Amino acid sequence: MDCVSNLPLLTAVLLSPATPGRFVLQAIAVTSVGIALLLFFILGRRGLRRRYFHRRDMRVFTLRKQWEGILNGSVPPEAWRRHPLDSEIVEEMLFEGMEAAHAAGHREEAARLLHVLRASGLLSSRMHEASEYGGWRKRRALVALGRTRAPEVVPVLAAALEDEDAETRVAAVRGLGGTGLPEAATEMMDRVVGRGLSTPGLTLQNSLLQCCQGRPELLQPYLRQAQGSARQMLSRVLGELATTAVEEDILLLAADPLPEVRASAARALGVARPVAALELLGELVKDKEWFVRLRAVVALGSIEDARVIPILIESLCDENRYVRLRAAGALAQMGPRLEQIVGKVIETRDRFALHAIISEIERAGGIAHLFSAISDPNHREEATATLQQALKAGQEQMRTAARGELRPVAVLKPGKGHS
Amino acid sequence: MLRHFISVSNITLFVYYLASNLIYLALLIIALFASLRHRRRLASIRLERMRTSPLAPPITVLAPAHNEEKSIIESARGLLALDYPELELIIINDGSADRTLEVLREHFQLRPADVLYLPELPSAPVRGVYMSQNEPRLLVVDKEPGGNKADAVNAGLNAATKPYVCVVDADSILERDSLLRIMVPILADPRRVVAAGGIVRVLNGSRVRDGQITEVRLPKGWLEVLQVIEYLRAFLIGREAWAAGNMLNIISGAFGIFRRDLVRAVGGYRTNAIGEDFDLVTRLHRYLLEQKMDYRISFVPDPVCWTEVPSDLRSLARQRARWHKGLLDVLWPNRDMLFRCTYGRLGSIGLPYMWIFELLAPVVEIIGYTTIILAAVLGVLSREFFIQFLIYGYAFGTMISIGAVMQEEITYKRYNDWRDVIRLVLYCFFEHFPYRQMYLVWRLQGFWQYFRKDFVWRPMKRIGFQGGDLKD
Repeated sequence: MDCVSNLPLLTAVLLSPATPGRFVLQAIAVTSVGIALLLFFILGRRGLRRRYFHRRDMRVFTLRKQWEGILNGSVPPEAWRRHPLDSEIVEEMLFEGMEAAHAAGHREEAARLLHVLRASGLLSSRMHEASEYGGWRKRRALVALGRTRAPEVVPVLAAALEDEDAETRVAAVRGLGGTGLPEAATEMMDRVVGRGLSTPGLTLQNSLLQCCQGRPELLQPYLRQAQGSARQMLSRVLGELATTAVEEDILLLAADPLPEVRASAARALGVARPVAALELLGELVKDKEWFVRLRAVVALGSIEDARVIPILIESLCDENRYVRLRAAGALAQMGPRLEQIVGKVIETRDRFALHAIISEIERAGGIAHLFSAISDPNHREEATATLQQALKAGQEQMRTAARGELRPVAVLKPGKGHS
Repeated sequence: MLRHFISVSNITLFVYYLASNLIYLALLIIALFASLRHRRRLASIRLERMRTSPLAPPITVLAPAHNEEKSIIESARGLLALDYPELELIIINDGSADRTLEVLREHFQLRPADVLYLPELPSAPVRGVYMSQNEPRLLVVDKEPGGNKADAVNAGLNAATKPYVCVVDADSILERDSLLRIMVPILADPRRVVAAGGIVRVLNGSRVRDGQITEVRLPKGWLEVLQVIEYLRAFLIGREAWAAGNMLNIISGAFGIFRRDLVRAVGGYRTNAIGEDFDLVTRLHRYLLEQKMDYRISFVPDPVCWTEVPSDLRSLARQRARWHKGLLDVLWPNRDMLFRCTYGRLGSIGLPYMWIFELLAPVVEIIGYTTIILAAVLGVLSREFFIQFLIYGYAFGTMISIGAVMQEEITYKRYNDWRDVIRLVLYCFFEHFPYRQMYLVWRLQGFWQYFRKDFVWRPMKRIGFQGGDLKD
């Protein structure tokens, strides 16, 4: 009772102008209220979430039992659409079903599920959210629309590419990528090449990859117009998807003034392997930019043709160590030709190159095979000794380099057990 | 005169304490918004697409191991099982005196390999490099003991071949999708985001099978639970908020990802650094700001790394003293970054905060205790005000800790058991005495050791997680 009668007085003290004492009292009061609210929030939220998930589990169970009815319409959409929780669960189940159907190549099943999305109005509702709302709700709707893979969602997603908010544009790009439709790719590329589309490059490239999968020719008209960063970005996508159908464009890209584009062309040549691949890659391994040479070396490594060996051996002596290592890595994968390769590398008299190739053969687990194959049984010991001597000499040369001005330095540390 | 000094000192301390509380409150609010934003952003990201993307840049995971024979196999298996399109794992055996290398050799059928090793970054001599016959993604670098983690990581960096390196502790456990999650900001903006740190959580008390957490539980020991609260506060409030302003200058050594070329450009880890993780990130900031590059160092709160924390006072005291030494060891050589335009927000806000409210906090606190006692002796202490101030300090500290628990509840909610949450909240009320005072002493010990140039690394007593519970 005393406390209650003193409340106005306490309030007056707390609200009165601050002296240090009063200030501290006020701070104690505010902090105590803060603690109480935080505790209430934590415990209350836990309780609510527990109830929610319990209810959700029950509804999932019920809806699963009615699933066939929901799909064939014997359970009318009105029965579950009016409950937001049921709507959410059915939508998620439809999305999951569609994704599984697409992954398994069951187009009819995917079409049946899409029909339910359309007929129930869930699709229009999401499209409405994506066009009329803003913020995270819009972004969530955009990504969900992508999961439907329905052609009618593409214009809605494309419109969101013009949004002022960067995150919304990213969600739209992700949504468009999710559809995997060629028209979605066209919408993205129209903006990339035309007005410019400010979204993170990797996200855009991933989405274009999904939409242009198996259809690299979609990229052709845009690549021909694109300049600067747009050209780099599109050529990178082509580098992953190239086929001989776009051979002409790859040849043009290989002579592009932008080094990133030439690097993508090298990648594309390795993937598509047109007739002229070897010749062009032979040129690109001499490019002035190290990363173009590196890409060319990697692409050459993927081509099973004895003619790549001399080119790769030449790259073993490249001035850039990453190029050398990649060339060695590619040569080490040449299996039955290893003996011949090592012989040729020895002929270069470049000990760094020899060491790089031995190192990569070791990585590929082929050193024992090499030792046994490099000479006939009568001369095996001699050949092994020669190789090891070459390695030691290489090590010494690298140590010399390390003591001198050369950078990066290179020192070999042989593993235990090696003489 | 003394009275006047005490009075001025008390006012100064009052203002200091008030300022630190306001900063903590601001950090809590910023962190809360940053977390919520991150959660919402995640809703539009589909990790399974990243998992299969040919554009995801390859990563080298570097795991230095020193006397880890109990847990190294579980750790290695856990790291190799991480979801990521292309990764290589390099375990650096840093001169272990136990059977770390032998157990690795037996389990992974290691064989000595003549692979190219370029010692561009300084480290103790490498004794050998080993490759696995049953796991092509694994490379083991065996080296002489370097005396610290930085030395071992540098050896790993020399052997790394991928454009990004993820540095982890071999005794920690990464959740399976951790690499995908930590790469989210990098993949979103690979030109600007040069490094990212994930959250480190306390492993003690949880169940582990095959190098993965199967059940998250709160540890039973009071010391470990208090560390859980500290970790939540440090990561979910501190790092989240500082990263929001691009002023994050610590990426935990237990889990962070960096662009390899930049780590090499700054000379790798400083091998004589005490807090090598803090040192590297500060040097990265310095380098990038001096180059006037537009960059970001991000914190991602959902890729989780679980680590074992000290369960005994002695180990904890050593760890905390070392952390404080590390703080001084980085802040002092970088004092020229303070309040200089070149270093932007970091030089004018981030580092001054570290100096005033982190490094000097134990000094201020001890001065506070001393002046209060002196004031009481001299009869100039207002007992009423002192008690009020004590209650306020207690209540405010508790509120911030509960705030960290709340943030955990709103966003990541790893502790599913009710009892764990209630215990966590209850411990927020009990961390002020005597733990806070013990922590003060350990930090002062850190100062003392630094000035005495006592930089010896003292090992922590570990229990290990050999395929079962991590016992308390």
